[in-house]
Amino acid sequence: MNLLAYLSGEDGRNILSGLLNTCLLWAVGSGLGTIFGFLIAVARRYGPRPLDYLLQAGVEVIRGTPFLVQIYLLYFGGPYLCLSLGEASACLTLDPLEAGILGLSVYGAAYYSELFRAGFDAIPRGHIEAATTVGLNRWQTLTRIILPEMTMLVLPSMVNMTILMLKETAVLSIISVKELKFQVDIIGNRDYAFVESFTILALVYWALVEVCGVLGRAAERRLSRYRFAHS
Amino acid sequence: MNRRALINWSMAAATAAVLAAALPSAAAADALYNVKKAGVLKVGTETEFAPFDFIDKGKHVGLNVDLFDEIGKELGVKIEWVTLPWDGVLPGLESGKFDIVAGPATITKKRLERYKFSPPIAEATIALLKKKGDTSIMKPEDISGKPTGSGKATAQLAQLQEFVKKLPKQGDVKEYVGFNEAYADLAAGRIAAVGNSLPNIAYVAQTSHTFEVVLPTFGVKTYFGFPENADADHVALNNAVAAAMAAIKADGRMGKLQKKWFGVEFDTPAEVKDPAI
Amino acid sequence: MSWELFWLLVEASGLTILYSAISIAIGFLLASGICAAMLSAHRGAATAGRLFVSFFRGTPLLIQLLLVYYLLPKIGLNVSSEIAAILALSLCTAAYQAEILRGGFQSVPKGLIEAADMCGLSAFSTFRRIRLPVAVRLTLPALTSEAIMLLKSSSLISVVGVVELTTMAKDLASSTYQPLPIFAAAGLVYLIINLVVAGFGRLAERAAKRGHA
Repeated sequence: MNLLAYLSGEDGRNILSGLLNTCLLWAVGSGLGTIFGFLIAVARRYGPRPLDYLLQAGVEVIRGTPFLVQIYLLYFGGPYLCLSLGEASACLTLDPLEAGILGLSVYGAAYYSELFRAGFDAIPRGHIEAATTVGLNRWQTLTRIILPEMTMLVLPSMVNMTILMLKETAVLSIISVKELKFQVDIIGNRDYAFVESFTILALVYWALVEVCGVLGRAAERRLSRYRFAHS
Repeated sequence: MNRRALINWSMAAATAAVLAAALPSAAAADALYNVKKAGVLKVGTETEFAPFDFIDKGKHVGLNVDLFDEIGKELGVKIEWVTLPWDGVLPGLESGKFDIVAGPATITKKRLERYKFSPPIAEATIALLKKKGDTSIMKPEDISGKPTGSGKATAQLAQLQEFVKKLPKQGDVKEYVGFNEAYADLAAGRIAAVGNSLPNIAYVAQTSHTFEVVLPTFGVKTYFGFPENADADHVALNNAVAAAMAAIKADGRMGKLQKKWFGVEFDTPAEVKDPAI
Repeated sequence: MSWELFWLLVEASGLTILYSAISIAIGFLLASGICAAMLSAHRGAATAGRLFVSFFRGTPLLIQLLLVYYLLPKIGLNVSSEIAAILALSLCTAAYQAEILRGGFQSVPKGLIEAADMCGLSAFSTFRRIRLPVAVRLTLPALTSEAIMLLKSSSLISVVGVVELTTMAKDLASSTYQPLPIFAAAGLVYLIINLVVAGFGRLAERAAKRGHA
C-alpha cells in the first residue's frame, strides 16, 4: 500500500481541500440545522395547532425520505421549478455548494427538531411549576431551567445526529460537491486503488467523529450539574 | 500483491491479517481448474453502465451478458452474475468473490499496473453528447467557452480536459460521480455537453430521445477491456478467456453483438499492451 | 413512469424492510449489552464498550460492509451477502442505539432510584421496573429516529450484492434516463415505510407515557 504517496503532492492537496469542504458543510449544516430545528420545536410546542400539523408533515417528509433523493431532486429537479412573476421569471438553479448547504440544513433541522421535542416533553412538570412558584418569569424559566435540563437530556442524541450529519455530507458528492469522499474516490477510480482510498476515508472520518465525541463528552461534563438530581 | 494489500487494509483487521498469513491459501489448484470443476464462472459487474450492463424491466441485460454467454459456451461453463455498485466490484475481484469483472473499463497504463485486462471489446474513444436540437454545437470544437462535464477520474474526463485546453476559449469542465449525473445536469441545462465514450453515448442518444451525439470522436484512441486478477493463480483462466474471446471475434459473433448493442461495429486489436494513456 | 417500474421499486423495498427490521432487532439486543458495559463500574468493560461505539459510529457504514464481506473470509468465516449485510447493519446500528440508551439511563432521575431503594426493591427489580422503563420512555423518539435512519442507510448493502430499493432506483434511472420521476417515486416508497415506523414509534411513546405518573 502506498498510502503516504497519496497523502502528499497534488493528491494530498486535493484531499485536504476536500476535508476542509467537508468540515465547512458539516459545521454550517449542523449549525443551521440545530437553530432551525430548535425554532421548529418551539413553534410546534408553543405555536398554534395548524402550524404544528404543518411542521409535523414537513418533518415527516424530510425524515422519511433518503437524503440522496432529496438532494437529487433539489439539484437536478430544481431547474425545472420555475416561477414566472409577470415579466420576471426565475428558476431554482443552485450551484452544488448552495444546494448542499440548503439540503443539509433542512435535513438536519427535521431531525434536530424531533430531538428537541423529546427534550421538552421529558422535563418534569414539577420543575417548571417550581420555577414559577419561586417567581421566575417565562423567559427565566426557559433559559435557566428548560434549556439547560433539555440540553443535558438531548446531548447524547445530538452528538449521534451530528455524527450522522457528517456521514451525510458524503452523499453530496453525487451533485459534484468537492468534499472529502469526492476527492478520495478520484484516487480509487483513477488508479483503481480502492483499498487505499477506503482506508483514507475510514481513518479521516473516524478522526472527525472522535473529535465530535470528545467535544460532546466535554459538554456533558460541564452540563452534568443540571442532571435532575432531586426530582 | 493486491491480496496482501487488502489484508493490510485496516488496523481493526490486524488480527485477521495475522490469522490469514498463518493459514495456507488453497493454491494447489489454480483459478481455471476451480472454475472448470465447479462448472461456473463467476462474473462481477455493476448495473449502471448501459449498454454494457443495465437493468431492463427488472432484468440484467446488455452486451456483457450476451458476450459472457458466448464465453461460457466456449469454456463449457455456466455464468453466474454478481452485481454490485462499482465501489465494491474491484475489491470483490481481489478477494476472490468472483473470477473476472465485466466492468468494462478503459485500459490505461496506471490500471495495467494493478490488473490484467481481457482483449478489448470496444473502442472507448470520446465523443460529445448534447441536448437534442442544440444547433450551437455541430462539431466538437463548438464547445469552446461552454461548460461541459464528464465522469470524475475517468479516462474520458482526462481526454475532455485535454481537448478543452486547446480550444480558443476554455469553458468549465465539471466532474460528476457517475455519467448518469452528468446526463441529468445536461438535461437540467447546467452544462452544454457531456464527454463520454462513443458506445455509451450512442446508446444514450438512441434510447433517451432527448440527447444527440456530436461527431466525430476526438482525442487518442482507447479501448474497453474486462479487468482481471494479475496474480499467478489466474494466468491460465485469463488465457482461456482471451482464447474464447478470440474465437468469438474471429467468427463474427463479436461484430454482431456490437451491432446489436452499439449500432456500429468496432475494429479492436487482439490485445492492448501499451495503451496510449 | 409506468406502473411496471413502480412495482419493481415496491418489490425491492421488501428487501429494504426485511434487512432493516432484522438488523434493528439484533442491534437493540447488542446495544443493551454494550450500554450496560459502558455504564458498568468495570473499567475494561466500559473501555471495550466505548471502543466499539467509537469504531462503528466513527467509520462509514460502506467500509464496515466491505470489511465484513471481504475480511471475514480471510479468517475462514465465509459469510454470504445476506449474512454480511445483516451483520454490518446490526453492528452499526448497535453503536448508535447504545449511545442513545446510555443517554437515557443517565437521565433517569436519581430520586426515583433512591425511592425504589427505600421501598426495598432489589437492584434487578429497580432496573426492570424503574430504570429500564424510564430510560426507554426518554429515548423512544431517538430510537425511532435511529430506526428510520437505518432503513435509509440500508441502501448501502448493495455494495455486498443485495439489490434493495435505492439500488433498484439507480438501476432503473440509468437504464430509462428518467432519473427525476424514478427518484421521486423511490422517495415516496421510503416515505410510506417510514411513516408507518414513525406511527409505531408514536404509539409506543403513548403507551410508555401511560405508565408514567
